[in-house]
Amino acid sequence: MRVAVLLKAVPDLVEELVLDEESGSLQYDEMSYVPSEWDDQALEEALILKEESGAQVTAIAVSTGDVDTMLFTALAKGADHVVKITGDFDASMSNWQQARVLSDYVREQDFDMVLSGVQAIDDVDGQIPGLVAGFLNWPHASVVTEVRMGGDSKVLLRQEYSGGLVAEIEVESPVVIGVQAARKPPRYASVAKVRQVAKSVAIEEVSAGAPAGPAFADIQFVRPVAAGRAEMIEGDVDAVADRIVQILADHNLLRRA
Amino acid sequence: MGPILIVTESTASGITDSTKECVGKAKELAKVLGTSTVALGFGPGAVDRLRRLDVNKVIAAEDGEFAVYNPAVCENALVQVVAETAPFLTMIPNTTMGLDLGAGLAGRNNIPLIAYCSDLQEQDGKITAVSQVFAGKLLARVPVPGDGAIVTVLPGSWPTGEETGDPVVETISGDYSSRMRVIRVIEPEKGDVDITKADILVSVGRGIESPDNLPLADELAEAMGGVVSCSRPVVDAGWLPKARQVGKSGQTVKPKLYLACGISGAPEHLQGMRDADLIIAVNTDEEASIMEAAHFGTTVDMLDLMPALAERLRGG
Amino acid sequence: MARDLLMALTIALLLGAAAFFAARMLPLVRVMRRARPTSRLDHWPRRLGFMAGQVLAHKRLLQMKMSGVLHFFIFSGFVILFIDIVDAVGQVFAPGFNIGPALDCVVDIFVALVLIGIVLAVYQRAVLKPERYHGSDERDGYVILGMIAVIMIGIILHESFYPFAAPLLFHVRPGLDPWGFLGYALARVWMATGLAAHPAIAETGYITGYILDIGMVFAFLAYLPTSKHLHIFLAVPSIFLHKTRPHGELVEPLPPEEGMAIRSVADMNWKDVMDLFTCTECGRCQAVCPAHASGQRLSPKMVIIELRDAVRRELAGEPPVPLAGGVVSAEELWACTTCGACQEACPVFIEHVPKIAGLRAALLEDGEIDKSAQKVLVGWDRQGNSFGQPVRKRPAWAKGLDVPIKDARKEPVDWLWFVGDFASYEPRVQNLSRLVARLLQQAGVDFGILYEGEVNSGNDALRMGEYGLFETLAQKNLAMLEKAQFNQIFTTDPHSFNALRNEYRKLGFERPVRHYTQAFLDLIEEGKLNPSPLNLKVTYHDPCYLGRWNRVFDAPRQLLERMGIELVEMPRHGANSFCCGAGGGRIWMEENGVSDRPANIRIREALSLEDVNYFVVACPKDMSMFSAAVQSTNGEERMKVIDVAELLAQAVGLNEPVETAAAT
Repeated sequence: MRVAVLLKAVPDLVEELVLDEESGSLQYDEMSYVPSEWDDQALEEALILKEESGAQVTAIAVSTGDVDTMLFTALAKGADHVVKITGDFDASMSNWQQARVLSDYVREQDFDMVLSGVQAIDDVDGQIPGLVAGFLNWPHASVVTEVRMGGDSKVLLRQEYSGGLVAEIEVESPVVIGVQAARKPPRYASVAKVRQVAKSVAIEEVSAGAPAGPAFADIQFVRPVAAGRAEMIEGDVDAVADRIVQILADHNLLRRA
Repeated sequence: MGPILIVTESTASGITDSTKECVGKAKELAKVLGTSTVALGFGPGAVDRLRRLDVNKVIAAEDGEFAVYNPAVCENALVQVVAETAPFLTMIPNTTMGLDLGAGLAGRNNIPLIAYCSDLQEQDGKITAVSQVFAGKLLARVPVPGDGAIVTVLPGSWPTGEETGDPVVETISGDYSSRMRVIRVIEPEKGDVDITKADILVSVGRGIESPDNLPLADELAEAMGGVVSCSRPVVDAGWLPKARQVGKSGQTVKPKLYLACGISGAPEHLQGMRDADLIIAVNTDEEASIMEAAHFGTTVDMLDLMPALAERLRGG
Repeated sequence: MARDLLMALTIALLLGAAAFFAARMLPLVRVMRRARPTSRLDHWPRRLGFMAGQVLAHKRLLQMKMSGVLHFFIFSGFVILFIDIVDAVGQVFAPGFNIGPALDCVVDIFVALVLIGIVLAVYQRAVLKPERYHGSDERDGYVILGMIAVIMIGIILHESFYPFAAPLLFHVRPGLDPWGFLGYALARVWMATGLAAHPAIAETGYITGYILDIGMVFAFLAYLPTSKHLHIFLAVPSIFLHKTRPHGELVEPLPPEEGMAIRSVADMNWKDVMDLFTCTECGRCQAVCPAHASGQRLSPKMVIIELRDAVRRELAGEPPVPLAGGVVSAEELWACTTCGACQEACPVFIEHVPKIAGLRAALLEDGEIDKSAQKVLVGWDRQGNSFGQPVRKRPAWAKGLDVPIKDARKEPVDWLWFVGDFASYEPRVQNLSRLVARLLQQAGVDFGILYEGEVNSGNDALRMGEYGLFETLAQKNLAMLEKAQFNQIFTTDPHSFNALRNEYRKLGFERPVRHYTQAFLDLIEEGKLNPSPLNLKVTYHDPCYLGRWNRVFDAPRQLLERMGIELVEMPRHGANSFCCGAGGGRIWMEENGVSDRPANIRIREALSLEDVNYFVVACPKDMSMFSAAVQSTNGEERMKVIDVAELLAQAVGLNEPVETAAAT
């Protein structure tokens, strides 16, 4: 069983999103990037699969910036192989284009399963796993919280719906899965191990041309107007607690003894 | 110009609000753009459910393979319907179904997609989609191309449309089968408490830091006469059961008071609680998105505030 | 004839025991040779002096009165035992040999002391049953005590029959020797009862005594290598080979290819291996361990015992079990606060903390770590702080000040202040940081900070086993420190203090570093700050990384004295201070198995002091931990946790008088 995990880096929300307010364009070069947290979940679920049933895990990223550390980290965590798709790409590359490049690569390979984060904070033009599935014309399920091997190249999934409903799904591979959460929290890769891996293992580089396909001509980003912003309660803990009690009283929410 | 297609979603209690929101918006847009609206529904009884929708046409797929929601089967049907009706806009609520079908359809039919849409604005016959990205920290204004697009719409984006229509009804059938099979659907475990029925929720997020601090929330909830709910990370960490989760993949709640403690307010979470009567947010980050949804906010440390508040409410 | 037999027996026993001893010791030596190198033979005159103090004067052992005294008795007996061996063997091999009345007397005195020691030891083990023995091999303890007792009895026995047996066996006629008073007394008994008159009884009595004495000594030798009492041989060299590098340095500089992870015995250094076999299972470490006291599974003693037993099993040919997570459980390893109380208590100077950190590093390499702590590690890597806060917010605390703080990256300063994470980001501690800044401004100090250029010092990352991350963080700080122009560096955070002072050396940083208590004391001495007496009664908590690991005990105390404050010490203070529970990354981890938080235990200790209403701290983490502990022990009415800087601010008129925390 060969499992591909698609990884991408997204702007670090802890730091500031750098926006040119006038043009509404993001200053991609001025932001710091982190692996998308849902992709971390997808990788973890793939590694659990590997431990359970000996799947071979390949982590793949499109070189939209420095993705090497992300790939070495995947190796340090237990991925068998990592691939970087290179080309004339940068951090502004759209999901659609990344999905094109990724699906072209996956199609040539012999993967039974593609896992990726169900979403990312920046997917304006669609989520990677869904787009890749569409381009490959493979069945696809999103919001998956568990992936297991069944018999006869079958894969078992748990898909979640709102209200806490869960479906158990069986699908014959190949399949694309959008992972919401792994069964266990993602494991840690120590800096030393990542460094050691970086010294001893090479990233396979595959070059690709610039993908065509629909791209939106002119996306403008704006900061949301703080329309319905909360009224901030100032003061120390005691002052705040007093004020909240007052608010509750005003709203008739104090429990009568 | 092609029609506006709405992919509808239903639960045991009928058509979802987010579907109705899309229907309302679609009608408004169709009027300005001079086109019609079509609703697509899956599953047994789809015709009955959709026949009062305020759309021009209803397409229902009721065959056996739609007995339960199957992402791949529905996608196959949708792909065909879209190929045949050539809609200008395809609107899908951004739920699990939206995440399943939106991007898949986009890829297969080579139609651009705009995700996490929270508004569609029309000006001079051109539509701009407003998309909520970066965990609600930015909005993307995306011009819908002339050939149209697919939009997956965040629940709560618009008022719900009324069910006063008299659409033409069409049923479709064909081979939509897939390698994917739904074995069974599991109802959520009814936990110790039903957070959807509580008037007061003390909801905790990442800010709780450790399960050792949960008693603080329990004590506060008890003092308030409410129950404890939480955001996704708390469930993922295994600190509280799934039944306590508020948000897209958890419960949708409408309590009289929602006290959000240490919850940043990801769109998925806001989706599940924005209709609460009163929202008070406690978060050390004044910039957190939860402050957009809350009526009152404070940046004091929740771990200090919870006991202080509990003490006052108990002391009464 | 009988003498020939005794000689042959003695030689046979000696050779047998020596061979047996060597055969059992050799594998241990081989394990040590396979282990990593560490340099422990430098500064040997200093080492010798240190050894003398610890071995001859029992400095550490005597910190526990009864155990120390009884050990001293037994230990002295062992030294004296050699005189007896010379005497007894000499009598056999050189008829008429005598070591002289003085030494005879000394031997008997010590036989008496040893026997008293044994009685005390048995009393302690069987009746007092201190908790620290929990988990130790009690049987081994009794076997050894029994063997020693037998030797003592043997000494007296053969001594008492010697005058009667010597003519028969050795053809010499020694008289009764009153100097060997115990043997003499017993000989009198033999004479009075007439037993002395029977040659067969005299001979048998002598030979029995001889075999009990010398035979048991050799048996002892053979038994030792598999007993915890190997310390009889290893303790002295172990103390000689103690660590002389900076006390607060966790790991020696590592060769670039090697990590600090301890996966197998070969990953420890040879002294680490030696430590395992030096341990006597006395449990003094366990008795002082805050994790153990809080009800967690960790006992430093058990870590050593578990590792030692694992080495033994491997030597016996059993397949190796992973040390981290197998031999020593992850739960035990992550419970450690790295406070160092165990090392401070260990009479044979075993270093527990580096072993625990090395084992943690192995767990970490397998991705096994508490999830909250994992977020902190990721946060350090990305943002350089443990709060998951943006880099740009690090200097935000400095904004509210009337006089802006200099940016040491841009202009030269006299004092460079390394602020640390907690003082930069934790809201409560931010107030303290502003106060420190105002104090410095009042004293007219030309100081600056590194603003966004500072990252966490890496002290805790290292103690969580993340050597790579420590290096990354340290290098970022060092790059900034290299650029900045300053005359001296000080910090408000003991953890940063330790890193800057001890851990950054291996990366080439050797500037002197001061803690703010030292810096403020200097300012007072120089007359730049003039505190007026506060007339308060307080207790002071020594932070582990200021006190124990860096031996800064006096500066904070002198500072309090200069403020006219009366200091009432808690029972555990100075080097014996009791950790707040936050160190070694514990502050971010779940409190699995904690039934009583160390901070709560500590606050109750302070509450037991009469008329003391202030708990003075000198560490930002202590401020957080103890403020919470005062609340959860319901001590708020009686005790106020206060930073030394707050007191100083009040003493120099910067701050409102501290609110009277308590009515007594």
